Amino acid sequence: MSEAARRPAPKENAYVDARPFWEGARAGKLVLQYCRDSGKFQHYPRPVSIYTGSRNLEWREVSGRGKIYACSVVRVPGPGVEGRLPLSIAIVELEEGVRIIANILERKPEDVKIGQPVVLAWDTLDGGVPYPAFKVAD
Amino acid sequence: MSRDVVIAGYSETKIDVRTGRSAYDLGGEAFALLLQSTGIAKAAIDGLSVNASISEAPNPFFAVYMCEALGLTPSWINFSGLGGASSVGAVARAAAAIRDGLCEVAVVLAADAQTNANRSNYGAYRGEFQEPTGVLSPPASFGLLMNRYEHQFGLKCEALGQIAITQREHALLNENACPKLKKPLTMEEYLASRMIADPLRLLDCVMVCDGANAVLVTSAQRAHDLGLKKTVRIAGYAELTNHGGDQALPDITESGFTKIAPKAFARAGMTPGDIRMFHPYDDFTIAVVMQLEDFGFAARGKGCDYVLATDLSFKGKLPLNTGGGQISAGQPGLAGGGLNLVEAVRQMFGEGGGRQVKDASTALVTGIGVIPYGRNWTVSAALILEQ
Repeated sequence: MSEAARRPAPKENAYVDARPFWEGARAGKLVLQYCRDSGKFQHYPRPVSIYTGSRNLEWREVSGRGKIYACSVVRVPGPGVEGRLPLSIAIVELEEGVRIIANILERKPEDVKIGQPVVLAWDTLDGGVPYPAFKVAD
Repeated sequence: MSRDVVIAGYSETKIDVRTGRSAYDLGGEAFALLLQSTGIAKAAIDGLSVNASISEAPNPFFAVYMCEALGLTPSWINFSGLGGASSVGAVARAAAAIRDGLCEVAVVLAADAQTNANRSNYGAYRGEFQEPTGVLSPPASFGLLMNRYEHQFGLKCEALGQIAITQREHALLNENACPKLKKPLTMEEYLASRMIADPLRLLDCVMVCDGANAVLVTSAQRAHDLGLKKTVRIAGYAELTNHGGDQALPDITESGFTKIAPKAFARAGMTPGDIRMFHPYDDFTIAVVMQLEDFGFAARGKGCDYVLATDLSFKGKLPLNTGGGQISAGQPGLAGGGLNLVEAVRQMFGEGGGRQVKDASTALVTGIGVIPYGRNWTVSAALILEQ
């Protein structure tokens, strides 16, 4: 990889107040939005519960354990993927019953498969901002 | 569904890349062509729907600006922001407005110049929760969807290739198709095309272009009064947005079409066997396979087998996107949802030229709009037309 990756860190809390997610990331914890009415997680975070429509929401740390629900390999350039191709992407289904789109680290993209168990890992955006990713748990 | 509203005209510009033109200029050309081909006076038009466009995305007033550009004074106007479902969705909304007496003659206009000016910025959650992962573009999301489909049902590359090849053959017969795509395609070339987001290949994808198209929607009575001889009836319509949107773990291979296909058929009083042409929204070949299943032409998970066993050419059992579709005629940005609609109407008017379908008495046209976070597409819309 000759070209250095540039991964601009996003403006935080632009969509909804997601401070627990970002503060959790800085502490090495994956913290997701949880609906107190239904007892279910949701991700990405929303202004209301997708289950009930109420704002009776809180944030809870999740285990970071899950499995690959779907995966692919990005092979074409785009903003923020320079120097990262081929890039392993996946929809990870967490034990807590919620899915998250993430990169799968430390494995050849071709060797990532549906059903593989994964655990939380941390990637780094520009400026040292930690961002959740996963790695296959053997 | 009462069959009192018709499509009584269509128009389309040529589709091309980097035209250097604006959506207004392309839209104006489609509008002028529509007046020319129908022979009606501009003053007869009192309704206008305009699709949101990528090239004019920052302007929240695009539809009204377009209205000014065209010199219209409509009593009903609609800004259709349903992505690739914008055109068929607008036809249904225009029909409702006509039945409500808000207007009598509506133009459903779609124009975009995405290769001239790509000014989309979806904002929302994407910056924080999606873009850092590199899942930036529709192909990445469809790569994930295809991978899951392959896991659950199996995927036959040759079937996807057959869709691309069949539609390419159709595009070769379409004088409006993007010149860059007017080359015959072989299975070897399809299979050798590079991976974009595994298992999605380059030739599974549309090529983004510039272009515009329009249809004229009015009541059967008004069409008669205006002397419009060629009309097709709006027999049935159904749409659904954000299917599974209140679930954390939906089956992402299940689209909204699984819910609305029975409704669209019931409203039309038809079954899949009554459909003579299929004009599905075709951003990617897998979307065609899934819709063949969702509308009951093939059993769930058997879409690839159906494609391999069925002649989908304009001469065949179920003619598929006979103008080449977006995959082979080119995707004129967010005017792309009107491309297959216009082709269906053209065929039903008997104006298909060298690709005319022998029995074009009914058509099923669909729209797919917007790609969400790790799920199936967001808007599913289906329109059934009959002569």
